[in-house]
Amino acid sequence: MYSVADIDVEICGATKCRLCTQFCPEGNTILYDEIRGTAYVAVDRCKGCEICVGICDDLAKHHAIKMVPIDQIKEGFEISKIGFKRTLVESE
Amino acid sequence: MSLKTINAAPGFQDYLPKEYQDLLEDGPFFKQRKVSELGSFKEVIEEHPMCSGCAMTLFIRLVYLGLPSLEHTVICGTAGCGRLAISQGAVPFIYGNYGDTNAVASGLKRGLDIRFPDTPKDVVVMAGDGGLADIGFHGVMHSWFRKEKFTTIMLDNEVYGNTGGQDSGMTQKGMVMKMAPTGKKFEKMDMLGLAKTAGVAYTARIAPTNPTRVANTVRKAVLIAREVGPTFIQAYTSCNIEYAIPTPKVMDDARDVEKDRYGFVEYFSDDAKAYWEESEKERKRLRKAEKK
Ligand SMILES: Cc1ncc(C[n+]2csc(CCOP(=O)(O)OP(=O)(O)O)c2C)c(N)n1
Ligand code: SF4
Ligand code: SF4
Ligand code: SF4
Ligand SMILES: [Mg+2]
Repeated sequence: MYSVADIDVEICGATKCRLCTQFCPEGNTILYDEIRGTAYVAVDRCKGCEICVGICDDLAKHHAIKMVPIDQIKEGFEISKIGFKRTLVESE
Repeated sequence: MSLKTINAAPGFQDYLPKEYQDLLEDGPFFKQRKVSELGSFKEVIEEHPMCSGCAMTLFIRLVYLGLPSLEHTVICGTAGCGRLAISQGAVPFIYGNYGDTNAVASGLKRGLDIRFPDTPKDVVVMAGDGGLADIGFHGVMHSWFRKEKFTTIMLDNEVYGNTGGQDSGMTQKGMVMKMAPTGKKFEKMDMLGLAKTAGVAYTARIAPTNPTRVANTVRKAVLIAREVGPTFIQAYTSCNIEYAIPTPKVMDDARDVEKDRYGFVEYFSDDAKAYWEESEKERKRLRKAEKK
């Protein structure tokens, strides 16, 4: 089992922060939903390094990211299945 | 190699892979993207096998953001970890033999200038410290002596990462590595000093701690190479495997090393300085005119 980054969209959505999107080593992995105003993770691309956790905790000081075992992620976004989306809000 | 070749033929787009369609619809090709937009557009790098938490991966991701015209750029590289990601980027990539990156880039850049006299075509070499300071050293130096107009980016993880931990010329003296058990015998090579001596127009040393600065430095280096002469970026891109850095600590390491011995420095030749100041003025003027 391995863990991937899971962003609490309530906490992140209450900020104007986008910091972790700039520091994830992987491209197309931490995405940003302009409508919901939150970052979110493509779970199929996350390699579990936890760099984003340090960025959110220590630099952004928002504590919005936790590492969660992949089998406990419910309805994780997978970019390889769904493709790039500017927002996950349905009507868009 | 131009927006025309990136665009799909009419009626054909729906049949292309989803990743390609995403690049056409939301990618970085049709306008320069900023670091602050990351996450809101489709980036050019697809899935690749570089290690989890690799700082080199992050740096490469930021290089693509800094390149001033992706659709008119060719990247040259060689064996080493970086090519694993660079070969998955939607920008033409030429995989040279170990040692000949800067010779390939020289020929390519000259050829492109003859073939496309009215369109600036950028050539960027991006390869490891082993690839550029050791095995490719003569090619790098001579491309600089000849004042070839392209950018060389060294992904300096201070080790041969891809082959399991041999020391390179860029490894620090005394460093013990898996395949250098008695420790590195010599000082880290002064590639920035050599670049200056060889007449490189712009050099920068940088760590990936400030994404905007990385992107801006890459853009600057490529634009100066277009107009003035060779440019060189030496980037600290730690290898967390060979240096046993736990991945959550990779950015702490980058900040520590930056503070200690890898701080941001840049050097301009007189010509490069004059060109850059002039072009900054011009950009300011254009921005003002746009606002009006
Ligand atoms: C002529 C030649 N010699 C040796 C090799 C084997 N080789 C492949 S990658 C590599 C080391 C790469 O080190 P570096 O350039 O620092 O890149 P890194 O993997 O550290 O990013 C070597 C020696 C090769 N491919 N070609
Ligand atoms: S660093 Fe934290 S608060 Fe900032 S965008 Fe990322 S998850 Fe949201
Ligand atoms: S754990 Fe690493 S790979 Fe996964 S989203 Fe965070 S920074 Fe990116
Ligand atoms: S071996 Fe080192 S440099 Fe290569 S991908 Fe892994 S962490 Fe990065
Ligand atoms: Mg190396």
